Amino acid sequence: MTTPTITEPRPELVTREVPRKGIAWIEAASNGDHKAVAKLYLGTAGTFLAVAALLFGLTRLQLIVPDNTMIQPEIFYRLLSGMQASAILFFAVPLFCGLISYIVPLQIGARGVALPRLHQVSYWLYAVGALTFFAGYLYAASENPLAPFAPLAYEEYSVTNGVDAWMAGAGLTVLGFLCWAINMIVTLHTRRAPGMAWRRAPIFTWAAAAISYVLFVVSPVFLAGLTMLMVDRRFDGHFFDALEGGSPLLFEHLAWFFFAGVHAVILIGAMGAISEIVPTFARKPLFSRGAVAGSLVAIAVLGVLAYMQNLYTAPLAWGVQYATMVVALALLVPVGLVLFNWVATLWDGSIAARAPLALAVAGIVLLVIGLAGELMTAVMPVAWQLENTTAAQADTILVVLGGGVLGGFAALHYWLPKITGRAVGEGLAKAAAGLIVAGALVFFVCMTFAGLEGQPVDVYRFYEGTGVSAYNLIASIAAFVIAIGVLLELGNLAYSYGNGRRVGHDPWGGSTLEWFALSPPPPHNFDAVPDVRSAEPMRDIREAVRARERAYAPPKPLPRSEPAASGADRAGDGPSVA
Amino acid sequence: MAPALSPSKTRTRVLRRALSTGALALGICAALAAPAVANPIAPDPAHSPNAEDIRVAYWVTLIVAAALAVVFLGALFVALRRFRERRGASPRRVTGGTGITLRVAGALGLVAVALFVVGVLTTESARKLEPSGPDGLTAATARHAQVGVKDVPQPEPGSDEPAEGAPLVINAVGQQWMWRFEYPGEREDIAEVFSYNELVVPVDTAVLLNVRTVDVLHRWFVPALGGQVDAVPGTTTQTWFKADEVGRYPGASTMYSGTGFPAMRIWVRVVEPEEYEQYIEQRANDLTEAQGAVEEQNREAEE
Repeated sequence: MTTPTITEPRPELVTREVPRKGIAWIEAASNGDHKAVAKLYLGTAGTFLAVAALLFGLTRLQLIVPDNTMIQPEIFYRLLSGMQASAILFFAVPLFCGLISYIVPLQIGARGVALPRLHQVSYWLYAVGALTFFAGYLYAASENPLAPFAPLAYEEYSVTNGVDAWMAGAGLTVLGFLCWAINMIVTLHTRRAPGMAWRRAPIFTWAAAAISYVLFVVSPVFLAGLTMLMVDRRFDGHFFDALEGGSPLLFEHLAWFFFAGVHAVILIGAMGAISEIVPTFARKPLFSRGAVAGSLVAIAVLGVLAYMQNLYTAPLAWGVQYATMVVALALLVPVGLVLFNWVATLWDGSIAARAPLALAVAGIVLLVIGLAGELMTAVMPVAWQLENTTAAQADTILVVLGGGVLGGFAALHYWLPKITGRAVGEGLAKAAAGLIVAGALVFFVCMTFAGLEGQPVDVYRFYEGTGVSAYNLIASIAAFVIAIGVLLELGNLAYSYGNGRRVGHDPWGGSTLEWFALSPPPPHNFDAVPDVRSAEPMRDIREAVRARERAYAPPKPLPRSEPAASGADRAGDGPSVA
Repeated sequence: MAPALSPSKTRTRVLRRALSTGALALGICAALAAPAVANPIAPDPAHSPNAEDIRVAYWVTLIVAAALAVVFLGALFVALRRFRERRGASPRRVTGGTGITLRVAGALGLVAVALFVVGVLTTESARKLEPSGPDGLTAATARHAQVGVKDVPQPEPGSDEPAEGAPLVINAVGQQWMWRFEYPGEREDIAEVFSYNELVVPVDTAVLLNVRTVDVLHRWFVPALGGQVDAVPGTTTQTWFKADEVGRYPGASTMYSGTGFPAMRIWVRVVEPEEYEQYIEQRANDLTEAQGAVEEQNREAEE
């Protein structure tokens, strides 16, 4: 069928010879196209999720019975450090970077990103950073769980070179995030299709903007902190050395500022993706786009500013502490508005219970419970009781599992047909969602109870007779269930990547522009970039096509004047431009 | 259902009614259920006034957070059940305007403000040092209060007598991986009386802790006797407690401080004031004896 088009056929460059294709992996690794780079991001992030799941299982195996001596303390803390870095730095943030890199240029109707080489560099900084980090495991890795804090990271307390590997690896990765953010900010501001005003931009694009700005702000701060720590550790600096007039609290500020930003990135990324999935499967537009977009921006701002709630127990001035409590509690408003909008969108819809929605709902359940827990620890006296016990840690784990893992899986399920042109197995996905939710809820309950008994975080052993043995045993079993669910779904995604059933360009009936492109999209994304007239351009296109079909009258027989090889037909069986 | 209303308004009304009824019912359920199943979801029982304040904040926020979560999840599952895909049905494209957004935001904002007020009240109450009671020890001297504790009774200017109800000032010094407790009181024979990991204090006496560290960051936490406090190099942070009952209360450092960190456990043994004085005396004698033995050894080694 020949499809009518509004664009003029563009003149094509014709060369005598088409450049020969190189070796596949070199092509993939050196391709500057945003989709190729994004695929590298997604693949690497998925790999580190598997690593994190395995390490999570291992560390919980050590904590399965009291006074366990299975893993030596030094080895345990290396595993724990690897687990936390993998889950946060090498999985959660890069996953959303990859999803945004792939989808957002398509959503805004761009032919590519603004700074493709910087984009490519950002990936390689991240990949080399992760390699550097894990190179530490060849001799002696860092034994500091979340991050090496001053002064524990100093040479006199951390004698192995693992801390250097941690700082170098994390530093390169975070520098990668910064490069990624710069490229995405420029792309979002300069590459939107005609008519794609911010008020019409898809919610995931808004999330991408919020995330890019958060990373742009918090990454340099952490890089500065790491540099100062490196100077202190190796070159006799005194930035954080209290004996020489430095301030150990300063590093806590710099580090928590960054990690609060990362927390916001995970939350916003998941919320952005879920806000695309919910309307698509409810067959209704998002209840209030403005409220959700504004809320995501508010979460970005407040979430970063509230970083000092991790310092409620530190000797800070009371005015500062109360101001932090104001910001931390104010987060309830935007978070609650987003959640309200999801329910209001589902209300009165026609809900198709497909795998992306199932994964999204599973993620929402964990997010809501985890965020409710974090609301509690935003109140200072409650934080004095729960912070740094397994109770508060369980809230954070639930947010990472619900937002990063399940929200990420939901987004991958939703968009992988765009990336590969193939569907992802739905049965396995739903089973994995069930396993992860069940495991996570049991884990949450047990760890909360253990935390209320006073079990501190980051212990390699707990003691018999402290009343937490049963909780830890059940939590460990639940952790294995979570790990199995995660690996199952990763396997499902990996298998479907090359073997899934072929689907069309618009399998879900989405309303944003990425569904207008072919699956997988060609290097230039769109043959014709449509003029955007509303917040749901793909819906407009579909309606225009339908209207045209309705208005169609059988033509009078015409002599075929033009051969079928004109430029307009290159889309083949692609969607038509109305 | 008023016929004059458009279907969208009716729907919104149903939604609103479902939300508010659910909220009310769940709030009541949570409030009623909380004390009944208190054991696993309650922190260790409080044995100090500041720990009591923390429990108040905990229960209030728990009920609010649980009610919010249950209302939301309830509405989510009702929506998912009721509005399953039906063949041929095409949902109405209802969207909300500024009005409903502002109302929801306002309601959430009120909850946030209420939690803030509860947070400030309980924080202020927990910070305020309560003077020692009649059954407690009153021979200690208060020095000065820094950030962390307020209303510490100060002695009269120019007087050597301790103030009425003055707290017992004890230094809790964290180091990899133990706690050292330094007790007040001047002695001729030894510099100071100290103990490791187990802190002995008299009952019904305000104890002001100077939390310090000699190496890395540590964190003081005895759940029954108040909240967590950081030990930061180069700084002294303060916290206090007034144990209401004789007993032994466990705790631990909750800040990762190196591979031996789980061993940084704390026990606070609360005893009668006379027993406390005996303990200090005994401890001083033991320490003097040990010091003497060391000097003896040194002399022998020199000869």
